Amino acid sequence: MIPRYQRILFWSLVGCILLMGAFLLHGCREAHKRLTALNDATPIAAPTAAATEEVNLYFASDANATIHSSRAQVALPQDTSLKARALLEHLLAQYSRPDSAHPLQSGPSVDDVFLLADPAHPNAGRITVNLHGSFADTHPSGIEVEQLTLDSIIGTLHAAFPEFNEVRFLVDGQVRETLAGHASLDRTYPLLDTTAGPAVPSEAATQP
Amino acid sequence: MVKRNPAGMHMESAENSPGAGTTRFRLSGAKALSPSYNSKNVIQQRNHLPATVAAVLLTALPLVSQAPPPPAPPAPRPQPALYRNLIVLDPAHGGRDKGSQISANSAEKEVTLAFAQRLRPALVAQGFTVVSTRDSDPADELTTDQRAGTANHVRPLACILLHAAPAGSGVHIVTSSLVPPETTPPPGRAVMWNRAQAPVIPMSLRLANEVGLTLEAANLPVLLMRSSVPPLDNLTCPAVAVELAPLKGSSKNATSAADAGYQQRVANAIAAGLASFRTHNAPPPNAIPSMASPRAGVAP
Repeated sequence: MIPRYQRILFWSLVGCILLMGAFLLHGCREAHKRLTALNDATPIAAPTAAATEEVNLYFASDANATIHSSRAQVALPQDTSLKARALLEHLLAQYSRPDSAHPLQSGPSVDDVFLLADPAHPNAGRITVNLHGSFADTHPSGIEVEQLTLDSIIGTLHAAFPEFNEVRFLVDGQVRETLAGHASLDRTYPLLDTTAGPAVPSEAATQP
Repeated sequence: MVKRNPAGMHMESAENSPGAGTTRFRLSGAKALSPSYNSKNVIQQRNHLPATVAAVLLTALPLVSQAPPPPAPPAPRPQPALYRNLIVLDPAHGGRDKGSQISANSAEKEVTLAFAQRLRPALVAQGFTVVSTRDSDPADELTTDQRAGTANHVRPLACILLHAAPAGSGVHIVTSSLVPPETTPPPGRAVMWNRAQAPVIPMSLRLANEVGLTLEAANLPVLLMRSSVPPLDNLTCPAVAVELAPLKGSSKNATSAADAGYQQRVANAIAAGLASFRTHNAPPPNAIPSMASPRAGVAP
């Protein structure tokens, strides 16, 4: 005959084991969700069949608030939309290097790029860049640093797709007011060469 | 006794007059135009009332047309394009929107508010009146439209948006990246809310240049940039955003944007720049004979 207190103790321990198991399972699921959000493993295209192309990448520098152009060989898919996405992924991945002049956190940055060409107007197409939510959430906050990121993307797209003339940004498929609290994302930007650096104050420009 | 009938005419019942029990019709604000009717006749001729009213109206029309026109209401006094001594400060963020983290114990919303409180007396010393979109940390953050609405309503000489950043170097003077229109829109014409700043971009660039010159004169590093920072594009006045970044000198330690001495130096330089901008771009109205029109001119 098992004493009553031992039976109570036994079932209490069993209950504790089940609770701990449930807690562990819940923790594993939450961790899995976090890791999945940070590491988007969606394949963009198999680059094996694609030859490398020489592209112009527009890099930002925080030290003097400038954008400079640099040529690079990048393997890009043939599809235009996937090509634009791969190009921007490659560009933004360079900013997570330790020696980057415009440091950004690593991780997925671009979900989709849509190119909307207008057949009636050959040079009046629009590119829509759908940024990843974690990219915008972890982007450094500040007018200069946010605008440099946008200028880097705009200049690179302008060099690669000269037949398009404007770009619009979304974050997780939604319109967002700013990138990280400063640079506006709810407007359309013209696609142009963004290598011009900041202006210098001059006495000549004071008179109306 | 005066009543109004459905036809919009005053019905005046003169019960105490010698012709008691009669009803007369008259147009609003005019003298009685029709002869009196006996009440018995009115009852008997009720079926003829519409025809009678029509006849009265036809009779009254020439008289109404001959009446002197009512005095025209006084024309509203046109508002000046801007008040040359008025500055709007907009310390960015606030409430739940903390902005960026400037240092371990200060957020951007606190730094911008402290900077605005240092800039205000410097501007007053230059003879400006200052309106601020916020003087404390509100429970709920102001929306972009609320900030722009406050600034646009008071027609200031300039709007200064205050920001701070934990990275970068020196002071960033930011002008809207909108492209100014090729032709200046006529006064009074509606402008698109998201492009309200476009017509005054040339003045905003001159403002940025003036402030940049005085900052350089104060030995502070300056960058003049173009960016669309809300609510810059919605402002109808000359506007710039001033972003305080750390001041990196010869020593290894950079001065944070939260530093009081650094903020005071920048505030003094901005106030001097605004005074210079006022002198060059908005001289007093009595100094320019061509500025006779209040709409095109400037209010003192």
